[in-house]
Amino acid sequence: MSRQRSMEKISESEYVSIGELVRITECRYSTLKFYTEEGMLPFEQEEENLTRKFPREKAIARINEIQSLKKQGYSIPEIRQILNK
Amino acid sequence: MKDLTLAESYAIISLNSLDSLQMITIKRIALRCVAAAAILELYLNEGFTKLGDKYLLKKNILDQPITTLYQVEVLKKLFKKQDCLEGTLEWWLRKASKLSGRELKKIEHAITDSLRGVDLLEEVPNLLGCDLEYVTATISMREYRSNKSEFTKQTEGIRSELLEDGCITDESIVMLWLLRESCCLPEIFSANELETVLERFNELYQNNTLAKKLLPITIQNKMEVIVKGFLLRKKRFSKTLTGIGLNFTFPIIERTESVFIETEAYFSSADQRLEDVIKRLKKYQHEVTILRAGAVPLLKIDNVLYEAAPTARVYKIPVHGVQLRRYQMY
Repeated sequence: MSRQRSMEKISESEYVSIGELVRITECRYSTLKFYTEEGMLPFEQEEENLTRKFPREKAIARINEIQSLKKQGYSIPEIRQILNK
Repeated sequence: MKDLTLAESYAIISLNSLDSLQMITIKRIALRCVAAAAILELYLNEGFTKLGDKYLLKKNILDQPITTLYQVEVLKKLFKKQDCLEGTLEWWLRKASKLSGRELKKIEHAITDSLRGVDLLEEVPNLLGCDLEYVTATISMREYRSNKSEFTKQTEGIRSELLEDGCITDESIVMLWLLRESCCLPEIFSANELETVLERFNELYQNNTLAKKLLPITIQNKMEVIVKGFLLRKKRFSKTLTGIGLNFTFPIIERTESVFIETEAYFSSADQRLEDVIKRLKKYQHEVTILRAGAVPLLKIDNVLYEAAPTARVYKIPVHGVQLRRYQMY
């Protein structure tokens, strides 16, 4: 049986799944998936298990950074350039 | 951040925008599933004693502090005068889902009270309550509104687990089953995504013990499902361009999408009409923003766009007023 982790455990762990990232950031799944596929969100993927693992603190900081840049009026390609600098 | 129980998470999704005063069919289906969720919570948290393929539960569980109020309501109805009950998981779920309307009402109060206590659910006035016919008949219309961010968190959480590769938690399998039993899957997943969900169903059935046990069980009442399917299709049609036009002429098609608000004066001017409409909407605590004035004003009412088209309804005498028509941006 694989049980859902409590919010307390999620907020203490080093790595989180995309579902857990959705729960803690309240972002839409499609948004996070898009950011991941565009290379804007850092993640690790083991070969045997294809599940993506996101470093919690770095991923949250990056999502906040993207959202703040969006509020400043930057487009996604511009944000990608800024983040890649 | 509070961790919601399975039944609470499900209620956040399924009760959103349902009539809070009447026991309508869609709400009945949702509450049957809330009762089943209360049983599944006990199952996941090992509240049952396993005896072969049967599960035993003693009545003293009702006195334990970890038992929630809605679980108490469900279990009280199941135990009645018996001290212990045993049956397969299917037996428990079927029994919990066959409660009467009055019993479901009590479960509704218990689950909504726990969500209201943490500000995750509220009761708001329904727009149809502003309609001339409802106002004169003094019919009050109210509906549940889930907390927006919690609703997103729950729906997106389940979407991410199912659409993303990787293992699925037991809570998500149970939630998936509850959503399937209450026919809520098309409200959360697009048509393309539903194909992926179906593949996941098959994959889970083959590889997951819980899914193998739970997915073949069904607690649906066929008549209720047919009614819900018909009502959903009717509502979806009334939001199309053709549907909006037809519904304007024949409001009976989808009553919630054609609200008629009368004006106080015959042949009133556009400004007077708009003033009367705003007055009525504000009286019933709706948030209104005027986006465009003129002969057919565009209003944003509780975050949904409507055109207020001038019209008249014929009763014993003709009544002048406006009909709110959903405005679609294409």
